[in-house]
Amino acid sequence: MSNAFLHNICLQRESKSYIDSLYAILTAAGLFQGPKYMLSGLTGMAFKMSVHEHLLPLSVSAYGQWGNEHEPAITNLGLLSETDAGRTRHPTFRWYQEQAVIAVKQSLDRGVGAIYWIPEFGVIQGYDDADQVFFVQDGWNAESQVVLYDNFGLNFTPFWYYETFGDRVAIALQDMVLESLRLAIQDWHTPYKTLPNTDIASGKLAYTFLREGLHGGAYDAGGAVYILDAYAVSRTEIRDYLRDVQGMWPELLGALNCYEEIVKMLPNMMCCMQENQGVRQIDSDRIAELVTELGVAEVLEDQAIRLFQVISEQYPDRKRTTLPRWGAHSPR
Amino acid sequence: MALQKVLLENLTLPQHANSYIDALHAILTHQGWITCSKSMLAGMTATAFRFTVDCRLTAESTSAYNWIAENFLAADFIGVTASSAAGFHFEPTFPLYLKQALSDIRKSLDRGIGCAIWQDRFVVVAGYDEDQQVLYISDGQAEGYRTLPYAQFGKGDSPYWYYQFLEGHIVLDEIAVYQESLVQAIFKWETHELMLPEAEYACGEAAYDAMIEAFRTGNYDPLGVREVIPYYATAKKDIATYVAALERYWPELRDASEKYRDVAQQWEKAARLFTTIETVDNLAPINTIIDLFEAAKVLEEEAVLSLKRLMRETINNRFHDIGLR
Repeated sequence: MSNAFLHNICLQRESKSYIDSLYAILTAAGLFQGPKYMLSGLTGMAFKMSVHEHLLPLSVSAYGQWGNEHEPAITNLGLLSETDAGRTRHPTFRWYQEQAVIAVKQSLDRGVGAIYWIPEFGVIQGYDDADQVFFVQDGWNAESQVVLYDNFGLNFTPFWYYETFGDRVAIALQDMVLESLRLAIQDWHTPYKTLPNTDIASGKLAYTFLREGLHGGAYDAGGAVYILDAYAVSRTEIRDYLRDVQGMWPELLGALNCYEEIVKMLPNMMCCMQENQGVRQIDSDRIAELVTELGVAEVLEDQAIRLFQVISEQYPDRKRTTLPRWGAHSPR
Repeated sequence: MALQKVLLENLTLPQHANSYIDALHAILTHQGWITCSKSMLAGMTATAFRFTVDCRLTAESTSAYNWIAENFLAADFIGVTASSAAGFHFEPTFPLYLKQALSDIRKSLDRGIGCAIWQDRFVVVAGYDEDQQVLYISDGQAEGYRTLPYAQFGKGDSPYWYYQFLEGHIVLDEIAVYQESLVQAIFKWETHELMLPEAEYACGEAAYDAMIEAFRTGNYDPLGVREVIPYYATAKKDIATYVAALERYWPELRDASEKYRDVAQQWEKAARLFTTIETVDNLAPINTIIDLFEAAKVLEEEAVLSLKRLMRETINNRFHDIGLR
């Protein structure tokens, strides 16, 4: 009977739950050094923005088919990742669940935590064969939560997901930054990431969905607050990231200025939400103001993306000029 | 403990085999997990129903699909569990994945199960030799096995590396497998593969229009078309055999079965025309070819309508996304 527990893993909910989890795992394993915004920037994850037409809370993590979205992010760090995911209702799930349990335990034995869809994403930091359990950090509770091997992957959403990490190759910082800009461009210009569904928009169109959702009034109140909070965090991350890497290309300074402007608008946007009996809500009197500001932010972000494009076009991009044999969609 | 050398006897791709389903059939048959014909497997996994062309009918048409998603599904539909990975060999992380791939492939061979890999085409790995640092490959071209040095894995002319290894086998309800395959057949006929730019590729029904258009305008790859047409002629023949076999369970399939049989005949005629045309310039029967594909399109459309009538309950339950199980 074996067991493992990685005491140095500490999940803090600040960014997207995937990045929070990744950061906790990689820093504990010595696979990443630096602030969280750098991880969020280099992986391109900070740029991801998705909004459901009714501003449902799922918007924040519905930025695409996870496997396809996370793969380029992890590859850009030079890391090998092993991941499996799917829908728990499929008849082969039980078998994949057993294999996943083995793979996660092996990863923990190597001293590397695993990303796990709770939901949202969290970290598996330990296991104990005697009790047949995993210990999962969810970032909300100080104590890790217990998940039985038999219940691995089961949750109220139809999806299961885990990811572990292997070795890392060194990639030059400038190459990583260039690729992160390209990931940002790609996300900005991809309107729908979960086709054939068109109720969740990505990138530029996500701004439209957000404004129209707020404007229409029939939105999910909690979801709207969550989307705006996540928006504020990610735009701040982008600003911090660009501050650190702006010296690489002259155009980045212009892009940084756009995000500086956006971040300056955030306090006022946040003020459009009020606490009422312990629950934060958007002040309906200030929706018009919020919608206007989001419109300004979209224009600024569009300008920044155009500057990214100027940089991107200076270098060949084999990855995007060669048609892949993966991505775009996951198994049905 | 890892072995030094493994060669799985009798695991070979038949001559002229060139598709993923050929590789899967060879591996599963060798493993003893299936005893059915390749046509039945191509039907059950719904791979025979994939019909995609690049608008210029280049040879690449036959492998232009999402291997990770679709080849996983092929296995999943029949209860075979599998793992796979793929990427561009020019990515900086390729050395890490190469190491992982060789380790996974060797482990699979140690368990006695062959692997499907992409080495400019889908081929089967039937063994390895640690001393020589080579894989033994059966590629459907040369007789027997050829060696592929470990270091050359995934580094063919095409930019892709890919491997899939099979792990387990869960017995599924046979009828449910057949039923799902027919729903997937409809899905493939109606749906464009998301990974492919719509301006350059066409799928299902639209693939017929693209082919006919290419022949009308003469804007097609004369060498590519000689691979594309026989490839899909084989697929259509597999469909005809498969659907005819399913009449046992659903006598109502008779209509679709007859239509698919006629579709396959049209394709066979077209394939024969192309193999008899000696030179690129000598395309006198182009109008005949267009007629054949126009007729085939109508027939296949009718066949699919017939399937839709039979499967209407499942389709209705899936609302706007009939491929999603």
